[in-house]
Parts: sequence; C-alpha cells; structure tokens
Amino acid sequence: MKKKEFAFDLVKILLGIALVLPIILAAFISFMPKADIMKIPFELNLNNATLENYIHSFTYMNLGNYLKNSFIMVGIELPCKAFTALLAAYAFSHFEFPGKNFLFTLLMTVMMIPGEVIIMSLYKMIMKWGLIDTYAGLTITSLVDVAAVFMLRQNMLSIPKSLYEAAKIDGCGRMKYFFSILIPLCKTVLAAYALRGFINIYNSYMWPLLVTTKDEMRTIQTGVAQLSWSSHSGLVLAAAMITSIIPLTVYFFGMDSIVEGMTAGAVKN
Amino acid sequence: MKKKSKFDVFPYLLILPVVISSVVFNFGPFFKTIISSVTFTDIYGNWTGFAGDTFWSMMFKNDEFWMILWNTMKFALANFIGTFFMAMLLALLSVKRTKLGKVYQMLYALPVAIASAISSVIWKSFFSQNGILNSWLGTNTSWLVDVDKSFWIVTIVTVWCHIAGSYIYLLAGFRGVSEDIQEAAIVDGANGFVRAVKIMIPMASPQIFFVLFVNIVNAIKTFTQIKLLTGGGPAKSTTTIMYDVYVRAIELGEFEYACCLSIVLFVLIFLVTRIQFIFENKFVHYE
Repeated sequence: MKKKEFAFDLVKILLGIALVLPIILAAFISFMPKADIMKIPFELNLNNATLENYIHSFTYMNLGNYLKNSFIMVGIELPCKAFTALLAAYAFSHFEFPGKNFLFTLLMTVMMIPGEVIIMSLYKMIMKWGLIDTYAGLTITSLVDVAAVFMLRQNMLSIPKSLYEAAKIDGCGRMKYFFSILIPLCKTVLAAYALRGFINIYNSYMWPLLVTTKDEMRTIQTGVAQLSWSSHSGLVLAAAMITSIIPLTVYFFGMDSIVEGMTAGAVKN
Repeated sequence: MKKKSKFDVFPYLLILPVVISSVVFNFGPFFKTIISSVTFTDIYGNWTGFAGDTFWSMMFKNDEFWMILWNTMKFALANFIGTFFMAMLLALLSVKRTKLGKVYQMLYALPVAIASAISSVIWKSFFSQNGILNSWLGTNTSWLVDVDKSFWIVTIVTVWCHIAGSYIYLLAGFRGVSEDIQEAAIVDGANGFVRAVKIMIPMASPQIFFVLFVNIVNAIKTFTQIKLLTGGGPAKSTTTIMYDVYVRAIELGEFEYACCLSIVLFVLIFLVTRIQFIFENKFVHYE
C-alpha cells in the first residue's frame, strides 16, 4: 500500500515538472553561450556553461535601472495602498457616522469597474497632466485599493469591541489606539497582503507600458519585454530569470501566507 | 446653548484618501469613457464637440468588430475550459496530504509567481520563427504568425499563466471539506472517483464557481500575452476586444472608438459577473 502511494506521488511530481518545464528549460538555456544557442540543430547541453548572458543583462542593457524603477513603483504604491486602506477600514469598522452605509456601498461599487475598462481614460488624464515618464504618473492612479479596505474591515470587525472601549476608558486616544493597538492586530492580514501586493505590482505590465516611453523610465517587465524584440534568446532568458527570481523568492517563503490571503476574501460565509 | 452631539469629522477624514482616489481615478474616468464615446476629443482627451452615435454606428457597422467580438468569446471559452479542467485535475490530485505532497504542490502553484510578461517572453523565445523549438526540430514552422496555430499558442500560454492561481483556490476549497465526511465515505466503500464527484466537488462549490467565472473574466481582460506573442495578428485573428482597445487608442489614435470598445468590454464583464451572481444564489452549497 505504501509503495503504491509512493509511485503515485512520483507520477504527480513528474506532472508538476512537466508543468514548469518552460521555466526549467529557460533556466538551462540562459546559461548557454550565444554560439551554442544559435547552433542548428539546437542541442540542450551545459558543456560550455557561462554567466555571460547574466553579465550582459546588466552591462549591455539597463536591467539594474529597470529593477530600480520597479522597486520605486512598489515602494510608493504598496505602503500607500496598505495605509489608506487601514485608515478607511478603521472608520468603517469602529465608528458610526451619517452616510456610512452609502459611502461604503459607493466604495464597493469601485470593484465593479475593472481597471482595464478605464485604462485609456486614465492614460489620457496622465498625459494631460504631463506625468508621462514620471514616477508620479506610474503610481498615482493606484495608490488606493478598495479590495484591501473590504478585507481589513472584515478583519477589524472580528476584533472585540470591548478592546476599543477599554482603551478609551484608559485614556487612549483614537489615533493612538489605531497605531499602537489596531495595526499590530492586523499584522497577519497585512503581511499576506504585502506579499501578494508586491508580486502583483512588480509583475504589472500594461500600465507601465502606457505611461513610460523613455528607456530609463521602464520597469523591469516592460524593459525585458522590449528587449525580447531585439536580442538573442540567451540574453532574453537570462533577463527573464533575473526578473523572476525575486517574486519566486517571495513565493517560496510566503506561500502559506499568500494562500491564506488569496482565499480569505474570495469565499462568502 | 451647546448641542448635545457634536458633528464628528474624524471618521470622514479617515476615509477621505480612499474616497478622493476612487472619485478621481475610478468613477471620473468611467464617466469620461462613457461621455467620450459620444463626443469628439482632441489628443489629450478633451471634448471638442458632440458626436452622437457617430462612433457607435461606426463600430457596429464594422465587420472587424464582430470578428473581434467572436475572437473574444472563443478565447474566453478556450481559456476557461483549459484553465478550469487543468486546475481541477491538479487540485483533486493533491487533496490527500502525502509525504511528498509539499513538492508537487509547490510545482503546481509555482507559475503564480511568474509575471505574464515574463511567461510570454519565455514562450516566445521557444515558439518564434527563429526560436529554439524550430531549431531543435529542424523545422521552419510559423507558430506565431500562422492563422491556425497562433490562436492556440496564445491560449496555451494564457492558460499556463492562470492554472496556478485557480489551483490554489480550488485546493483550499477541497481541503476545507471536513475529514469526517470523507472518512465516512471511505468506510461506506466509496472509491476516489466517487468521492471526488459526490463529495468533494459539491462541498467545494463556492470555490469552484468562483474559479469558473474568474477565469472567464481574466480571459476577457487578457492583454499582455496577446501583445507580446502575436501583437493581435495575423490578420487580427488573435485580437480581442481588450487588445483592440489598446490598438485603437494608442496605435491608431482613435480614442473615441476605443471608448466604445471599452464600454463593450465593461458590459461583457458585467454580464459574466451577473450570471455568476445568479448561479451562486441558485446552485452553490454553503455549509
């Protein structure tokens, strides 16, 4: 019985390897020198394994600069999204105020408008404001995430109200409660959100493609995609590997947390 | 005389950033898209005059539009079938926790971390005319510029990008099915297949419905794979509504026409989510 299970497991692993085969092949080829890749017929061998493709990614092309731009983009968007969502979720979970339900419904309506539908109007707006090829243009339209407001509100509603009352009686101000008690309590949800948010923003392609025209403003995704029109496979695949290593690392270490985050908001109870 | 309850501005300040951003960057552009479809605009998108149904009738009379709409439906259907059944198979295979479970689970879910742009670039280096696959096989097949093949290559790459995300949701759903019920079924002599069809699938129906519909919407919204693999060609055979929005607005400078297409895109997605809502209320099993 145990033997049968083991054999079945091996089949499942083989299936998994078949699924990620393009990545494995790409990783191999990225270490082959240009001459070997160009050889017809193509042969997969690592006899002349070299790092030249990786070195050229940084010397022949601006991969370092693309990475910097991507990190700046994530560095602006992610904290803003998390912080504005925390503030709004605090209001919707802890206070009663006129128009609360209306405003909440209004915000939830935002989720009905897919970003792809309005992306061209947004682009025209950024163009009119003269923000093409600036970090402001790259990030200003996505500093807020309504889905995060919803998720954090759910999380805050599960925190006992008595905690807030007790803190208030002890003379803890509303902002102090928010920063020193509420935010630490949302740590797990925030961590999951940050991991997923990092991968999403870092991997975004269409918006950076629209609002950047100069090479020095390209993000890693648009930069590598642009490169794929003009360079040989080895260089392109090495650049693709460098690009992917960061989200893959995040994925390896944060998998469980991401899964939790992905499934938390998706299912009604 | 002092008022009993003072108006409290504090909660409004808390939600102010989110509300401002939503109005300026979501509702505003949405209404602008609608209005721009019935006006003439300059290069910055400013309105210069009323156009009535000029662009709408131009779109509806355009045979190309109907072909592209058909492409979108075909693409959505192919993607949805491919992604859903692959993800379902992988999730059912990994429900049972085994010794090596962590290994294959990790492999199945791994593409979720790879960007769609990077996936497209990798696949393109295999499939392009002077790419690795042709050189390996010694052939000269035009995978990406052949009307019959390019549609399927784009579909395969898009499916490949979406399987992992769906797999994670489905696995979470199946894992949520209580062990007691499964054990009871085993005692009653139900084999793996019967357990999957009669217990796992009905019990995880919320996740299954979610994945089913989210894949249709994702396929309708696909841009990156089309842009990088085929550029919508050959002869527009891989152009969908989403990709045509880009072509019209950016490459041809027909912003108003692109706005009409954007509204069609919105209606398509809206219909899918409505159908999802109706189905969920009717068929989904919640414990």
